[in-house]
Amino acid sequence: MSAIEIENVTKLYKIGEVETRALNGVTLTIEEGEFTALVGPSGSGKTTLLQLMGCLDQPNQGVVKIKGQDVTHLKANQRADLRREMIGFIFQFFALVPVLDAYENVELPLLLNGVAPNERRERVLNLLESVGLSDRIHHRPDQMSGGEQQRVAIARALSTQPLLVLADEPTANLDTANGTQALEIMQRLNEETGTAFIFATHDPRVVPYARRVIKMRDGRLENGAS
Amino acid sequence: MAFGKLWVIAYRDLGRNRRRTVLTMIAVALGLAILILMSGFIGGVMDGSLRESIRLQTGHVQLRADSYEIEKMSLQWADLIDDSSALVAQAETMSAVQDATPVLWASGILSTIQETSGVQVTGIMPDGQFHQPIREGMVAGQYLTPDARGEILISKRLADIMDIGVGQRVSLAVGNDEGQPEEGVFTVRGLFYTGIAGYDERTVFMPLSQAQAFTGAGDRASAIVIMLHNPDDAAAVAAALQSPGITALTWEDMNAVLRQLAQTGMSFYYLMYGIVILVVAVIIANTLLMAVFERVREIGILAALGMKRRQIMGMFLLESASLALVGIVFGILLGSAAVAYLARVGIYIGEDVSAIASNIPITATMYTEFVPGDMVALSIAMLVVIVLASMYPAWFAARLQPVKALHSN
Repeated sequence: MSAIEIENVTKLYKIGEVETRALNGVTLTIEEGEFTALVGPSGSGKTTLLQLMGCLDQPNQGVVKIKGQDVTHLKANQRADLRREMIGFIFQFFALVPVLDAYENVELPLLLNGVAPNERRERVLNLLESVGLSDRIHHRPDQMSGGEQQRVAIARALSTQPLLVLADEPTANLDTANGTQALEIMQRLNEETGTAFIFATHDPRVVPYARRVIKMRDGRLENGAS
Repeated sequence: MAFGKLWVIAYRDLGRNRRRTVLTMIAVALGLAILILMSGFIGGVMDGSLRESIRLQTGHVQLRADSYEIEKMSLQWADLIDDSSALVAQAETMSAVQDATPVLWASGILSTIQETSGVQVTGIMPDGQFHQPIREGMVAGQYLTPDARGEILISKRLADIMDIGVGQRVSLAVGNDEGQPEEGVFTVRGLFYTGIAGYDERTVFMPLSQAQAFTGAGDRASAIVIMLHNPDDAAAVAAALQSPGITALTWEDMNAVLRQLAQTGMSFYYLMYGIVILVVAVIIANTLLMAVFERVREIGILAALGMKRRQIMGMFLLESASLALVGIVFGILLGSAAVAYLARVGIYIGEDVSAIASNIPITATMYTEFVPGDMVALSIAMLVVIVLASMYPAWFAARLQPVKALHSN
């Protein structure tokens, strides 16, 4: 069964009197374990598509299915449940909770999912080790570099062993070395865990790592990918 | 989600803007301290005036003729007690009774060549225990003796107002048992001071036998004033001493007006309490709303991670509740310290101010009193109102759309 199916999805944004068609009849399938880059210029609809796949937003038309389940019209709390159980997020601006240290940030989704303390501890420590931050577990975000913060975010996204991780411009705020390191870690974890990764990016460094590249322009898939 | 982690986030968020957190806590603490102090003052004034009224005016139980009306201070024989010594003897056989003493009241006018003042002439058995405060409050001259003739006591305050000294002769006029004026010349034997300016200004004492002769009351008395070992026995003692033609009144009956007045006054204070609590609640709501606005993107992250609306709301409510609780603890400490200090030192309002309230015995120095029930009720009210006021900011945070929240700056 496909991880995600997007069928003829349209998303409109209205800013004042102006209506913008962020997505225009997009159809797309993501299989489990994919490592896919969603590329295109700013305003091409990458982020909007990620948000629909991540149940952060709902389309105006079309259907979004996760693991075969139609999630298009779920209520806010049901979508929160789905995100918590199935989806990990990585954002451009790292998006860690500033008052929690690295360990606690990675632990947070596990707490939300009610994972038992022992298992929680084991998973958090393993993940922080696999992103190379075993020595930074009690550092808060403001005590870490951008690269380190993004690695904590990667560990957090994977802590619940989700179906897929959605990453919105994950390397945009990182220098080359840190960006490359983050990409290599994600690639390795994709192979180790089987979790699908989808990147929205306009960073050309990302493309060589992707096994599949989907190009977007003006709210449509450019190369007719599906 | 483990409640503990929500609390940890809420607690640490409070530390992010320490100055704002501390200022808000101070607002809560000061607000509550003011309320506790207000309640301490009201308690002090209310209890104080009741205590003074019992001590100086009503005693714990009074026996009067059925037809006697205290406002008129009638001296007609039908309104007076005939056999006061038998009633005194009967009362004194009761173990609950500390002392019983007859008094005779008459309204009169005290005059010197320059000054005139309306007074209440009180005929007393000078050794009656009820008159202890007067005996102990002598500031000049001598206290009365039972057989003193032509001598009266007035207060230091009245003496000052009318420019009278000890040993000076003054003219005193009363209406007699037939309503006709009787006038006599008396020598001021001594000056007393009770601390209740309104009472001092209008009270003149003379021995009972003298008063009876002067007013034509024969051997009759206006009332028997009874002091008890324990005020709670008043109703039982009153019931036992009730007899045909004699009404027995408890201190609660006699101070009903005072208590009602205090209750009327309370509604004003409740309004003040409400205003203070609301101001504090608005400050908290404002603080929390600012915190929400500052953390919109974080709220978006938490929502993206799958935190439910009620959890986000709970996080902010915990934040405001902890802010409130710490503020309340300091408020209780500060308020109690202020009440304790002013219970000892008091606030001097001056004799002239206390004299204005002629119906309420208020001392020139007002003392606070702990009212634990009020303190608990005010603290709980403060906490509840603060949490209620935080509902809107918390609800606002919980209703944020994750997509919009994530992309806010």
